[in-house]
Amino acid sequence: MARPHIEPFVELNEDFKKFQVSGFRGSHYKTLSLDLATGACTLKVRFDGGFSRKPGLSYSDMELFVLTGSMKVGKEVYREGHYLHVPAGMAIKAIDVPDGCEALVMYNDSEPSFEESDKNHQLALKEGYVSVNAYADMPWAPGNVVQPSVASGCLLKLLRYDPLSEAMTFLYTLSPEFEQNNISYHDCAEESYHIWGTSWMLQFGDLPTGGYFWRPPYINHGSFRCKKGTIAFGRTDSKLHNYFHFNPWSNPDENMLRAAAHLYRQRPQMFQWVATEGHNHPHGPMDFEHKDYQSDRHILDIHGHHHHHDD
Amino acid sequence: MTSRVQDKAPPRSEEMQQWVDENIAEQVTRYEAIVKEMEELEPERVQWYREFLETVQTSGFNVNGDVRRKIPDEELPIEPDRKHKVIF
Repeated sequence: MARPHIEPFVELNEDFKKFQVSGFRGSHYKTLSLDLATGACTLKVRFDGGFSRKPGLSYSDMELFVLTGSMKVGKEVYREGHYLHVPAGMAIKAIDVPDGCEALVMYNDSEPSFEESDKNHQLALKEGYVSVNAYADMPWAPGNVVQPSVASGCLLKLLRYDPLSEAMTFLYTLSPEFEQNNISYHDCAEESYHIWGTSWMLQFGDLPTGGYFWRPPYINHGSFRCKKGTIAFGRTDSKLHNYFHFNPWSNPDENMLRAAAHLYRQRPQMFQWVATEGHNHPHGPMDFEHKDYQSDRHILDIHGHHHHHDD
Repeated sequence: MTSRVQDKAPPRSEEMQQWVDENIAEQVTRYEAIVKEMEELEPERVQWYREFLETVQTSGFNVNGDVRRKIPDEELPIEPDRKHKVIF
């Protein structure tokens, strides 16, 4: 089990619910998507004016993107557009929200968790911490960082890149009158939240402000249109390759076979090694550079190996 | 295998388990509603597909970035004889 295919979902049509869980009281939430096996989730959270929380940590990697308002974390103030990636076990300072704040909050490994602490867990991979204002501190870059590429008029700000899985977190914008006449799919799951604007896809129709999707791998999406411009927050769970085509009726099994044919043509030695020599590495082959990658929680999750606590 | 912070998480509290159970049920319900909604969009989608296949023949198909290729009749896909789905 993983996250169901949620596309499209317009969260503005839904009510917030009280977050009645320790560490989150004083906030309200909407669940945008949730992994049925692990509880990993993407939430829209409304921290009501007066919300406060002591320093603490989560047992899951956590990402946060401020949509409206501001929150004080220690002595820093995170305003609209602020992005955080907090590795599991890394303590963040006390949070105060004097005037209210709305944010996307993502727990990548398990359900939301909070444990009061002013110290990092001894196993925390704190080098993975990212804190940046995506609106103020980063320039837009062309969307052609990936080839084959999206059409011009799609711009990106890369907020986080995972060197092991090549998962990405990014802002993207589509210019007014954006148009891309192809159907795409990827090897990765893809997620998006429309901060502002409406865009259209051939399979799903319009996705307006507040629109959201979590799309598993190999599912057709596009062609693409955007009349008045869109700014959105996006993520992938592993490497994104654009497989473009023009067959609106192909299904995920056929798309995956086509992706394998791509591997056969473009990485012949690797294809031979994986497919025909009978190697059986259900938890991944050895990597002399990243010797411990097989226990990386994100790598386990994207391979569908769900985990159990030690204790 | 190296031990990770995630492996050290305490067991879910009762209130958290309740939260997870409620949200799983909500996700399943939402998924089913989306499947229905997308099936109801099928008549419009048929028209959109028709227009798309015209566009790739006239304006062209985006091969890479802004590079386009006009698709000739003989390359157009044929609709298979099976129920069409967009949600999986």
